[in-house]
Amino acid sequence: MHERIRKIREARALIAEAMQGCDLPQIEAMLRNADMELHWALWNLGEPVPLRPEMEIR
Amino acid sequence: MSDGFWNRYTETLPREKLDALHLHRLQALCRYAYERSAFYRRKFDDAGLKPGDIRSLEDFKRKVPLTDKSEFIDQQLAAPPYGPTLAVPPELVSHHCETSGTTGKPLGIPYTLYDTVRYGESWVYGMWALGIRPSDTFYFAFGWGNFAGFWSTYWAARRLGARVISGGGLDTKGHVNAIMRLKPTVLISTPTFALRMAAVASEMGIDVSQSSIRFTYHAGEPGPTALPAMREQIERAWGAKAGELLGIAEIDAFAPGCPLGDGVHANEMNVFTWSMDPASGREAAEGEIGENIITSYVNSAQPLLNYRSHDLVRRRTACGCGRTWAKLEGAVLGRTDFMVTVRGTNVYQTAVENLIGEMAEVSNAYELVLTREADNDAMTVRFEPRGSVARERWPEVAKRLSDRIHEALHVRLRCEAVAPETLPRYELKTKRIIDQRPKEFRRALDR
Repeated sequence: MHERIRKIREARALIAEAMQGCDLPQIEAMLRNADMELHWALWNLGEPVPLRPEMEIR
Repeated sequence: MSDGFWNRYTETLPREKLDALHLHRLQALCRYAYERSAFYRRKFDDAGLKPGDIRSLEDFKRKVPLTDKSEFIDQQLAAPPYGPTLAVPPELVSHHCETSGTTGKPLGIPYTLYDTVRYGESWVYGMWALGIRPSDTFYFAFGWGNFAGFWSTYWAARRLGARVISGGGLDTKGHVNAIMRLKPTVLISTPTFALRMAAVASEMGIDVSQSSIRFTYHAGEPGPTALPAMREQIERAWGAKAGELLGIAEIDAFAPGCPLGDGVHANEMNVFTWSMDPASGREAAEGEIGENIITSYVNSAQPLLNYRSHDLVRRRTACGCGRTWAKLEGAVLGRTDFMVTVRGTNVYQTAVENLIGEMAEVSNAYELVLTREADNDAMTVRFEPRGSVARERWPEVAKRLSDRIHEALHVRLRCEAVAPETLPRYELKTKRIIDQRPKEFRRALDR
């Protein structure tokens, strides 16, 4: 489980990189949704992640 | 391997880990609510409380002020649509829902997109435990208004990856015809409407126990878990497995049915719950009946902390199904606001309903009429003998029902037979309690 959690965290970091400077609203929305799902995955694996990612990455 | 678990890992987390997670999340939620909601900032300030004062779960239960639906409604009426209860910028509200309005004034419920994902997820745990899979096809036997229960079911089907058929604005016969034509495998409705559909189908010459429906899943009123007699009726009528969850529109579909069929489990990824003795305000011990007090991690748009559900529950920490999430035996055992003391005995709606369900010659439609007589609350049970019961036998059936209630609940209630099919049927929230007491003898939300 630790390895899975580590990979999900890495995926979120990659998504954050991909969002930087993204000027395509469609792609930005997709990346934002992907990050939301991965945050939710960490939450449901009992990880102490912050409460509201949608408030953090606006 | 998933077997009956949607997420075996968290559904079986040891209690110590769950409690540690709750503390971390509740502390964050207190900071969030204090910083972003004028409503909570005032509640905390009035109580002389700062988010940093919450250092344990006990602190949270004892120090964070209780909240009640009536407070939120008052705030929203004063400054519609949400007033100071809104904790996010308005542009982040992606969906507006409402409670069903059965207490008189519907409560507006704002959701962010993420809130809707979390809410929908809650339904899936119980569906999966019952045996429902992505290959199933859902039939929604309800119209699409603003009621949160309807929309959250849709969010659930999307999350599960199942197929959706909406009954939309069809009447009861239309629903039956649509089911026979489109062959869904899962029926979503209130429990009483599932029985109503089966009865109407029978009048149409259709036996829905031979239909494509393999599962029925319910919410919105006491169903197959709280009322074993109703489970038996639904499963026989539809030839299907019946399940339910306990949800509260403004909170979450927070308690999926246990696969053992004798209660529900609080979804401890979405909510933190504890039970309070409504009389003393102290925490009720395991196994004691108390009011379910709920804090939601789901609602970032309108946070709900230490929210009074007015549902009376009996909490257990262990369950034979293997889940560690708190078990509420029998789901909701009664309502603090629908609990009536008749000659010193607390009478709960579901207790009476179970006894009515035991009697073969009585339909499942009934009303409990509350009146005030000689300085006491009094209750009359209005029930319908089935059409096959001759009118001259009604007094005898009424006496047997009264005797059975007396035997089981230790209180003598007046039982009054009315003609078959004369009591109202409901598609949504069935209204069983007819409160004819003067206003001053009713609780605040019922006035």
